[in-house]
Amino acid sequence: MQDKLKDILMNVHKPARYVGGEYNLPDMDKPCKERVCLCFSDKYEVGMSNIGTRILYHMLNDTPDVVCERCYAPDLDMADQLKKHGLPLFSLETKRDVKSFDLIGFSVQFELQFTNIVYMLDLMGIPYYAEERGEEYPPVVAGGPCVVNPMPFAPFFDAVLIGEGEKNLSELVALHIECRDKKLSKKEFLLKAAQLDGVYVPSLDNPTKRAVVKDLDKAYYPTKILVPNCEIVHDRSSIELFRGCANGCRFCQAGFYYRPIRKRNVDTLVRQACELMDNTGYDELGLLSLSTSDYPQLKELVDKIKVESDKRKIKLALPSLRLDSFEAEIYEEMQGASLTFAPEAGTQRLRDVINKNISEDNILSSLTSALKYGVKNVKLYFIIGLPTETEEDLQGIVDIVKLVKDIHRQFGKSKLLNIVVSTSVFIPKPLTPFQWERQISIEQMREKQAFLREKLRIKNVKYSWHGAESSVIEAIFARGDKTLAAAIVKAYELGCVFDSWSENFDYDKWMRAFEESATDYLRFLEGFGEDEVLPWDIIDNGVSKRYLIEEKRRAYAGVCTPNCLGKCNGCGANRLEKCHI
Amino acid sequence: MIILKHLKVGDVSYVSHKDTLKVLQRGLIRAKVDVRYSQGYVPHMLTYTTTPVPLGVQSYAEYFAVECSGIDKDELLCRFNDSMPYGMRAVASYCKDKNPNLAALVVASDYTASCGATLSKEIENIAGRDTYVISTFRKGEVVEKDIAKLVHYIKIDGNQIYMRLATGNENLRADSLISHINEQFGCNIKVNDIIRTAQLINCGGVMSDAEVILR
Repeated sequence: MQDKLKDILMNVHKPARYVGGEYNLPDMDKPCKERVCLCFSDKYEVGMSNIGTRILYHMLNDTPDVVCERCYAPDLDMADQLKKHGLPLFSLETKRDVKSFDLIGFSVQFELQFTNIVYMLDLMGIPYYAEERGEEYPPVVAGGPCVVNPMPFAPFFDAVLIGEGEKNLSELVALHIECRDKKLSKKEFLLKAAQLDGVYVPSLDNPTKRAVVKDLDKAYYPTKILVPNCEIVHDRSSIELFRGCANGCRFCQAGFYYRPIRKRNVDTLVRQACELMDNTGYDELGLLSLSTSDYPQLKELVDKIKVESDKRKIKLALPSLRLDSFEAEIYEEMQGASLTFAPEAGTQRLRDVINKNISEDNILSSLTSALKYGVKNVKLYFIIGLPTETEEDLQGIVDIVKLVKDIHRQFGKSKLLNIVVSTSVFIPKPLTPFQWERQISIEQMREKQAFLREKLRIKNVKYSWHGAESSVIEAIFARGDKTLAAAIVKAYELGCVFDSWSENFDYDKWMRAFEESATDYLRFLEGFGEDEVLPWDIIDNGVSKRYLIEEKRRAYAGVCTPNCLGKCNGCGANRLEKCHI
Repeated sequence: MIILKHLKVGDVSYVSHKDTLKVLQRGLIRAKVDVRYSQGYVPHMLTYTTTPVPLGVQSYAEYFAVECSGIDKDELLCRFNDSMPYGMRAVASYCKDKNPNLAALVVASDYTASCGATLSKEIENIAGRDTYVISTFRKGEVVEKDIAKLVHYIKIDGNQIYMRLATGNENLRADSLISHINEQFGCNIKVNDIIRTAQLINCGGVMSDAEVILR
């Protein structure tokens, strides 16, 4: 393998992606009973930036008797070379054939990565469908954010891990070791796996409750992490402040999925931050969560970490700041020259519908603070095609942009202010109050984008928008069922791969795939009835259907639900574990 | 200023020069070295390297100069080696009052490579000609290049090739020449089997190892 790789690597772009050898590599030679390969269905630079797989990789390698290696989706040039030289997909660490591992895990991050699962299985030489794989193949399991509704890709996997891998992956690996010791068959192993919390076995179709970590403060978090030898998307170390979100924006799947809210303590975070800064050599540290400014002791935390990061000349990155809690003081300390705000909708009416709990006053005061401190670049994120949206709401986006320019002028700043407006298309996602909504048509998407393109022809304002066609495919798979697996395979056979990369996305091939696989995809774009059985109903993700219906009604009435920092709104997620904020 | 001579072998030979700089600088942070930064709006570490080794080619003789304080050369070497990924170990360190600017002084590099079969002695004749044109890739395009003055010598010993090639402003990439040799003489020398063994400076007409001016 190594010798053939020497020929291959000089013929591919960025060969460093395929050789491993990163700093902080765990011991691959330790005695082990189980060798796991964690696969990521996107390129190295995307996968290496993912916190979830980073946690699980190090957690497994810190487990006695377990060695974990990695495999990322190779770029197309590498895949061609592997096929040309008759080589299977291999792990980065020891260059082993992936199908020779005891257990294979896939992290599925995004609907437009589904064809990459088939692409990687193909390169591994593993049959796509779980039912076609005998005892000669190791169990192939999936996890990651897309398991909110695993149905479209479930037929490819022996098991799908629903929820947090710190809990269910470690239990599954322990069970697999036990079953192999007892020489049990794969089928017997899967029967036992289905009894674990958060393990859905597609062949058994067992009702599954999401697994969650009880005490995040004590949960495993690696501080001696791999440091890549080549540039990756998020080239920094990160600490995770808390999991879950108190805000309940009605379009946001992550906001509901990661509930109940659990946080880490300041002292734990400061310790982890120091260890990460010392162990990695990164010059930037990110403070991560879904809404960082909702961390109750943010000021205390930033103050303490800044003392340490200043000593080491390391910058802090504070993403996910909400408009209403924007603290100019913190921002000043961050010395940033650009700022990202996400009002999501252009008018107060629509912001109330989606429960984006921010007012015109919040926007005004936050932007005023930011511009007063000399921000030179403002990025504004909006969603188009939200339920009940009208032209007035689109005009509201334009008005906010004009408002930003007016405030900037008031301060008489001589320097230019660059504004970037980005719009994505609303996609009704499972486990949100809008999960029953229909998605707007491609024509409607294009009309709305054209309206904004025309109106945002303003000096120093740049408008960018998310592709309408890829939004349609994302919407189909977000709420699809198992019948879509055939379309995924067909799309791959037609050449669809790396669909989340705009240069590779081919809508026509997808339409052909639906047609040739005789898949009725249109029904997943239409709305669902509230009493209809939804494809993902078998998965208990925590938040109750009753609560989501109630929220949907409040949305149509334009009534906001306050965030749950003050008082519990009874979403049901604390059935899984207690909310801590 | 401390100058480290380090290896770039094994998997890290596939790391590009730009990324290698990042790897080296992160190593210094992990090693807790008090490196000087530039005083500009976006401060950057004051570190310097020599002409990059081509992607995939290994090296026993890379140089990395660091403007730092509060640490001696031996301590830096130890800490650097504890903080680098496998394949980037430092083998020597030198202390100089000011930057010797090796990048400007280095005029040639020695390379060696081996092949599965015995190599033709005719390969040696590439050197010493008035003109010798090969095709190389430059920014994705094939260009003709006269390399006669850029090849100092080539020696063949069984399945081993030794060559001294121009480095710096007048530069000949070892992988380009090996690719030409493979094509013209039917050899199969892999790029990753090429090793840069020394970087050389011109000391009054005599080629000397760059370490000479560091000692």
